[in-house]
Amino acid sequence: MASRGSTVLRVLAKYLLAEVPAAHFGLAPGRVRRAAWARGMRRAFEELGPAFVKLGQLISVRPDEFSEEIVAEMRSMQDAVPPIPADAIRAVIAAEFAAEPEELFASFDDVPLASASVAQVHRATLARPYRPVWGETLSAGADVVVKIVRSGAAESIRADIAVVRRLAVRLARTGLARRFDPVALLDESAATVERELDLRQEGRFADRFRFDFRDDPRVVAPRIVWPRSTARVLTMEYMRGWCLTELEAARAGGVDCRGLAVHGATAFMRQVFVHGRYHADLHPANLFVTPDDTIAYLDFGIVGHLTPEERMNITQVMAALVYRDADRALTYSAKLGVHVPPDRIESVRRGLGQLLDGTTRRDGTRDFALFGLGFLKLLGRHGVRIPSGYGLLIKSLATVEGVARALYPDIDIVATAQPFTTRILAQRMGDPARMRERMPAALRAALRELVA
Amino acid sequence: MTDDVMRFFAAWMLTHEAADEGLKAAVARGESGGAEGMGGGSDAFVDGLAAMVAEEKERLKRALEARARGEEPTAERDSDPVLEEIRFEVAELRGRLDSIEALLETLVRKIG
Repeated sequence: MASRGSTVLRVLAKYLLAEVPAAHFGLAPGRVRRAAWARGMRRAFEELGPAFVKLGQLISVRPDEFSEEIVAEMRSMQDAVPPIPADAIRAVIAAEFAAEPEELFASFDDVPLASASVAQVHRATLARPYRPVWGETLSAGADVVVKIVRSGAAESIRADIAVVRRLAVRLARTGLARRFDPVALLDESAATVERELDLRQEGRFADRFRFDFRDDPRVVAPRIVWPRSTARVLTMEYMRGWCLTELEAARAGGVDCRGLAVHGATAFMRQVFVHGRYHADLHPANLFVTPDDTIAYLDFGIVGHLTPEERMNITQVMAALVYRDADRALTYSAKLGVHVPPDRIESVRRGLGQLLDGTTRRDGTRDFALFGLGFLKLLGRHGVRIPSGYGLLIKSLATVEGVARALYPDIDIVATAQPFTTRILAQRMGDPARMRERMPAALRAALRELVA
Repeated sequence: MTDDVMRFFAAWMLTHEAADEGLKAAVARGESGGAEGMGGGSDAFVDGLAAMVAEEKERLKRALEARARGEEPTAERDSDPVLEEIRFEVAELRGRLDSIEALLETLVRKIG
């Protein structure tokens, strides 16, 4: 373990030293210097493997605690690694099912479709028909993809996290990390990775997602083949189409990209405000558009869950953005755990008001990313701690906006949220408990109006 | 519940359609509510809500007119959400059992 600790430090040192010339030996202006160190850190994390890739992904959603340059670098981190040999993949399948892929599937392709730090994906065909949890039966011979956790990935990730946690404890003691709590960050990263390592959780969320959108034929998720799935192997329907990095091909194939952008943004709002569970790892490779104009969501490794109370408070915060109401945003952010000390409330409110007014683009649409990330930074500047779920949701919404604008540059994500927030707040008006609470005052107001 | 509340307001708006100039003005403001029209905090929310209730009112009006003509009301999804939820949970349980069955088969193969 000590040797892994040395390796971590050595790799970090190697990439940070490589950036010394770019940082003009520490004499470059602040922004250039910080960008150089951030680039070095990102490269080191990519080399150090899955645990660090996940840690980087977590850092990328914390603009309140890390500099703009680090956040930007970590956001661009690549989670693509060379594939592991077919023998190693077959060994995982054999360990999970005590059978060769050919005994489990009608066919299995040894050449991977994709390879990331935690798992590798292969194509196969079903030997027998299967009736999934929700949706039509998958026929024998149907194309499926098999996602397999790399052998040793779980162990090495857990070991790396243990090593880095020790370093983080030491770092915390030195007081050098004033802006963030390195141990808490590590623990959060560990919890995220643990969830991702059990593929059954991803499969269950995909099933739930299909059910949630059962009335919307334009939003789909792959059907899961449970008899061929375990904690380390997940078999699911193969989705045909183009991922969002292949937009030109999709357009050439006649896909209505504009319509899909609006529909996709609406679908995300529905996940957050109506269902209280959402895909929290949206990026262009996880979203497919299909030739029949549907949006397919893939890879439910990171998902966000909201309690009904959180959902209502988030709706209120979103309504505050829609209707430019700084007081409402602060009141309901506090209910979500964003506590602004009383002596800084006025200053935060002023900053928030400026953000609400200053996030309109030239074409009149609102820039949610500018607002959301600006809000997190504003809170960070005032020393306000931000609950991780809050940061994750803002990052997810900013990503949805980015993805939707790639499809349809004029889309206004804030306007897309308006019907949801307005309806849900209207629903709250009909809540019997609230009616009981507010009705006497409403009646008094009505009587005053009548008497006048 | 959401739809009930909206339907209630819509019904109220329908019966007071000609009466309330203030409400009409709120609807107009809410309908024009792009980035420019939404600068007024809770008042803007009321305008936005009024515009949505007005949309609901139009739907209600169309449904009532269709009924008056003896037509079937447009098919709205009225499957019971609780029953649907139970159906899903049973199906999800089946998925878990499928997974457990596969696990047992694996154990049998390993032992055998």
